[in-house]
Amino acid sequence: MDLTSWLKGLEDSGVASSLRSSLYYFPFLESVHVMALAVVFGTIVVVDLRVLGLASRQRPFTRMSSELLHITWGAFAVSVLTGALMFTTNARVYAHNTAFQVKMLLLLCAGINMAAFHLTAGRNVARWDTAPTAPGVGRLTAALSIALWIGIIFTGRVIGFTTTGAQAKEAPAPVGDFDDFLNSAPASSPVPAQPSTGKSP
Amino acid sequence: MNEFVQWLSATGPSLYLQIHEAWTLPVIQSLHIIGIGTAVGSGLMIALRVLGWVGTDLSLEATQRRFGPWLTGALLLLLVSGGLLIVAEPVRELITISFWLKMFCVAILAVVSIAFQRSVRRNGPQWEHVISARPGVRLAAVLTFVLWGCIIILGRLIAYDHIWGHLSPATKA
Repeated sequence: MDLTSWLKGLEDSGVASSLRSSLYYFPFLESVHVMALAVVFGTIVVVDLRVLGLASRQRPFTRMSSELLHITWGAFAVSVLTGALMFTTNARVYAHNTAFQVKMLLLLCAGINMAAFHLTAGRNVARWDTAPTAPGVGRLTAALSIALWIGIIFTGRVIGFTTTGAQAKEAPAPVGDFDDFLNSAPASSPVPAQPSTGKSP
Repeated sequence: MNEFVQWLSATGPSLYLQIHEAWTLPVIQSLHIIGIGTAVGSGLMIALRVLGWVGTDLSLEATQRRFGPWLTGALLLLLVSGGLLIVAEPVRELITISFWLKMFCVAILAVVSIAFQRSVRRNGPQWEHVISARPGVRLAAVLTFVLWGCIIILGRLIAYDHIWGHLSPATKA
């Protein structure tokens, strides 16, 4: 099965249809997504600033990370779930949206960055746990982490501006013969986007 | 309010933000969400410390000194970015019930936060075991989570004010 028909299948699924059928579900999902994201961003920055030595310098890193990161992961799980549910409602549009693609790429980079931290500074954490700052590589990954999450928030917000009211274009009908093909060119037009309300999403 | 909104929409700064809305709105809204994340993060750290669930290696006073300024700074960022969003889209923001309910929740949260900061400054050491153990204080700490949730939901609902039906002033326009 190719990607487009799989995405179409997602849109036609019972979950996606019922989410689209209500005025309330989508705003509710968005709200929960923002709440989860706020907790993810807030707790990650607290830990990153500790690694950078810009705040909480006197607290052991492992104590902070073990306390906070399970809150981060819990909130991240909620944001993935709500994000995935929103995605199903208009899967083809989101999948082809540049901001969405960049956001997914940034999320992947944040994951790789986190792995890089664990493979470098995270390896010898015992040596700097109570020191005011982490080693240079650790500080670099912490700074990158903050930058990546700001990028994830920005691209996430742009998705709303570039997809609201957009509909997936249906594939054009198969061409009958060559004459039809020549004549059909000016007549075929893409599905028009819904008129803008003049309000930001 | 309608006259004020009309006037605001026609001012120079508002027109500038409207003309360049392709980048001004996403950028300001993103700054607003970064402010929310920072404020929720710091507010969460303080409230969880009051409840004794997180960061007990740091005294309550020290926790307040560590996260209080970040909370205040984030609230300033929220005030400035939120103010700019009102200037950019006066009708969308001010002619909604979601916005005013949100401001109501923000006001309650502000009162709770200011009362907390004052009390910690005044009776610091007592907070550690005595004051933070009071059921009312613990309830207030939990209440801040609920308030943040309401603020975020209502903030998002500004874009969907029609879901309030006839309660929304936007549907009368």
